[in-house]
Amino acid sequence: MKYICVICGFVYDEAKEPVLFSALPDTWICPVCGARKNNFHAEEDKKKPQEAHTIYETDLQPLSTAQLSALCSNLARGCEKQYKFRESELYTQLSEYFLRHTPQEPEASLDRITALLKEDLNEGYKTIHRIASDVGDRGALRVCVWGEKVTRILHDLMERYATEGEQFLADTNIWVCSICGFVYVGNTAPMLCPVCKVPDWKFEKIEGGIGL
Amino acid sequence: MKQVAVRNIRLCTKDCLCLYVCPTGATDTENSIIDTTKCTGCKSCADACPNGAISMVPLSYPAQQKKQDDVIAILNAVSYRKMQAETIANQIACQAGNQTVQPLMQAIARSSRLIAEDLIREAGYMLPQSANAQDFLQGLLTNPPDDFPTEIVTELLTRIPCNETKEGIIQ
Ligand code: SF4
Ligand code: SF4
Ligand SMILES: [Zn+2]
Ligand SMILES: [Zn+2]
Repeated sequence: MKYICVICGFVYDEAKEPVLFSALPDTWICPVCGARKNNFHAEEDKKKPQEAHTIYETDLQPLSTAQLSALCSNLARGCEKQYKFRESELYTQLSEYFLRHTPQEPEASLDRITALLKEDLNEGYKTIHRIASDVGDRGALRVCVWGEKVTRILHDLMERYATEGEQFLADTNIWVCSICGFVYVGNTAPMLCPVCKVPDWKFEKIEGGIGL
Repeated sequence: MKQVAVRNIRLCTKDCLCLYVCPTGATDTENSIIDTTKCTGCKSCADACPNGAISMVPLSYPAQQKKQDDVIAILNAVSYRKMQAETIANQIACQAGNQTVQPLMQAIARSSRLIAEDLIREAGYMLPQSANAQDFLQGLLTNPPDDFPTEIVTELLTRIPCNETKEGIIQ
């Protein structure tokens, strides 16, 4: 039997490995992307049909202050790609203004982050996938494919932190892909991003330290 | 579509081949920035550069793809939660001091922001020249709070002309 990592596509082929997949310990992680066992599915189960039960509210809500900050940092990147550096700097300043004015979240806990990630995996990305497929919006599908995989690894890291505690982060580094947001724990960044396939120099090392 | 040459100073090793091939002297400047008022867009410098340091950049962009309301609504719903996650991760990182959870929270915050930016980009804010981006900036100028930096918005509006009208694209 073959087992496939849903995040990076790595194949665990039992015919070639010394251990059956089911016999691997729960702490085993994908050698390519670092995801745990529960992110693998057996090759045989054909894609489960997407259950589309949520009827989506299409009223356009005003964006939150935090979203406005991301809107501006997104346009700052857009300007940078067009070599408009002054404009990029101005949008960055606007983005920082909105970030400073973002109200604190009342429930700032690790569990709350995990719950938000879970909601996106269980509901958000499924709905994006369904609507974007219906209307043939390939751009929305692309952001859905990348975002869902990255959300899955974030959720996995939160759960690892909850079960394994701090030691899985000791004496190692954390890397973030500056293109898709994939997070990798390891001494060096992966040669290619497992999600968006950019080379390792597109990864940023999280330096830690106070003063965000 | 009219183009001009732009030099990426980080890649440029000052071999100066581009100086010899430019018919207008646009590449020969004291600050290394190609003079766009002289550049005719002939692309000779980009072809000659051994380091791929020169790109041709269009002066106008096509209108961005129109997005359907239901696509926008669901993309916005997810980016809303991504930014909640960023806010919470930042809050925890600030409280955490030097504990090991801090770098993890910084990674979550950074990653959530990147995903949110990408979602918002696909929800109608791809191009700074788009009508959406321009309407957004205009909206910020109506009843701004006291500490709001309106001068930033006005400068952006003058620097980035809109490429869409009700009739279509301005070429
Ligand atoms: S040819 Fe390329 S590397 Fe050489 S000076 Fe011009 S831009 Fe720089
Ligand atoms: S595109 Fe042509 S005119 Fe413009 S800077 Fe390059 S060589 Fe000179
Ligand atoms: Zn993997
Ligand atoms: Zn990536």
